[in-house]
Amino acid sequence: MTTAAIFDANVCGASVRGPAHCSQARPNEDAWRRASGAFGTVLVISDGVGSRPQARLGAQMACRAVCGAVRGWRGGRVVLSRLLQQIESDWRRGIAPANPCDSAATCLFAWMRPKGQLIVAGKGDGMAVAIRPNRKPHWVVGPRALGFANETMALGASTELETWEHWSLKGSSEIAVVLATDGVSDDLLPERANDFVSWLVAQSRRRTPRARSRAIRHQLLNWPTPNHLDDKTLTVLLARRGSRR
Amino acid sequence: MGFAKYREDDISRRGGTSREVLERRVRGGPTPAAGSAGAKKTTAAATPAREPKLKDFTVATPRPLPVILLLDVSGSMSTNGKIDALNESVAAMLQTFATEDATRAAIHVGIITFGRGGARVHQPLEPATRVSWKLLEASGGTPLGSALDLATQLIEDHTQVPSRAYTPSLVLVSDGQPTDAWQEPLQRLLSAERAAKATRFAMGIGDDADAVMLSAFLASESSRVFMAHEARQIVQFFRWVTMSVATRSRSARPNSVVLSEPIELPDFDF
Repeated sequence: MTTAAIFDANVCGASVRGPAHCSQARPNEDAWRRASGAFGTVLVISDGVGSRPQARLGAQMACRAVCGAVRGWRGGRVVLSRLLQQIESDWRRGIAPANPCDSAATCLFAWMRPKGQLIVAGKGDGMAVAIRPNRKPHWVVGPRALGFANETMALGASTELETWEHWSLKGSSEIAVVLATDGVSDDLLPERANDFVSWLVAQSRRRTPRARSRAIRHQLLNWPTPNHLDDKTLTVLLARRGSRR
Repeated sequence: MGFAKYREDDISRRGGTSREVLERRVRGGPTPAAGSAGAKKTTAAATPAREPKLKDFTVATPRPLPVILLLDVSGSMSTNGKIDALNESVAAMLQTFATEDATRAAIHVGIITFGRGGARVHQPLEPATRVSWKLLEASGGTPLGSALDLATQLIEDHTQVPSRAYTPSLVLVSDGQPTDAWQEPLQRLLSAERAAKATRFAMGIGDDADAVMLSAFLASESSRVFMAHEARQIVQFFRWVTMSVATRSRSARPNSVVLSEPIELPDFDF
């Protein structure tokens, strides 16, 4: 009888419509999705670019495209460029017949594979941060350094793979990933952004995923920054090495 | 007498003080603070540090929507009521911004003038509600190049215009030919990482205004220079800019610029 090291992961999070869309009776144009299976656990968030007619569709199809590409991945080694190309083409198929420009959406995801490889990638703004014990958080996407609010690269804007940020890790016994849209990340104090993700991960470890998701939803609905407008999505993936026989 | 009534009577016979407090006084020990119910035990434990809350990590101010005015205050602006119309128009704009609906983007205003003594910051960038308007005076030359460099520096400065700000609006008003080198400073502005993204408005006042320079500043085939030949039209231009910015500030997506043509505005007070 042998034991094989395998990573257990769980996800918590929430997405809420912002005050601007509430006042205009428009739906939330953020989306998020998680999936688990033999491929591991994947978490994806997306923010439809504002003022685009099919922004909500674009965000939902981005989440579906990532989950589909990850589920359908064949082969042990992940060739990131092929994975990202698959996501881009699945997204375009998903939004059809809508125009890619009309459906532009950001896309940030984290894929924890069963044997401990973590892949984090993102196209567009928001934040994607990996947190390991006793190390400074590693920012794969964000904080916003250039440009202005509500200005971003996105699916539909360019198909060049250089527009993706990405990072991969193997070998850590414990790791967490925080993904959030710019409605959250743009309101963080720059000097406290690392403290925020560390605090969020610590909070997530203390409760069940369901309880933590409720708490996150409450925090997003009572967002403290005055006059905030945007839809908000905030998610956490926690992974730890377990064992299975 | 029931137990509860006995207890109440017991305290009342002691002038409202419980038996436990009285006994502690007799023994010389610590007594509860006045107003406390009964004899609660107090501990000397230190108050634990407060658990962080979300507000400890988030910005406590609304996202700014910066509006930067580049205003010609050269000597020629002192003729034909131009500087008076400019003062009146800017004051009205500031008044409108200061009373804009506070539930949307916060409009910040900065004013750079160029005239005698070069280009200078007449009004530092700050919330419109806090601006205290100082009248402009016209004299000197037209150092536009220096003003453009100041504007570029301002927009590129993350401490003045943070990354979370909405795309700035940049408004240039001039009635004559620049008296310094302006082409390279304009190129620097139009190629800067952030300043190039500003939404630009331009107004030329009078027949001597440099329409070529103003068009180069706009650098857009879809935008056109507004030409004013009377004081009334200066006021109209600023109303148009005010409306455009206010519309953006109320929008769900303030970076989406909604510009109606100036001629569509009715010619009466709002």
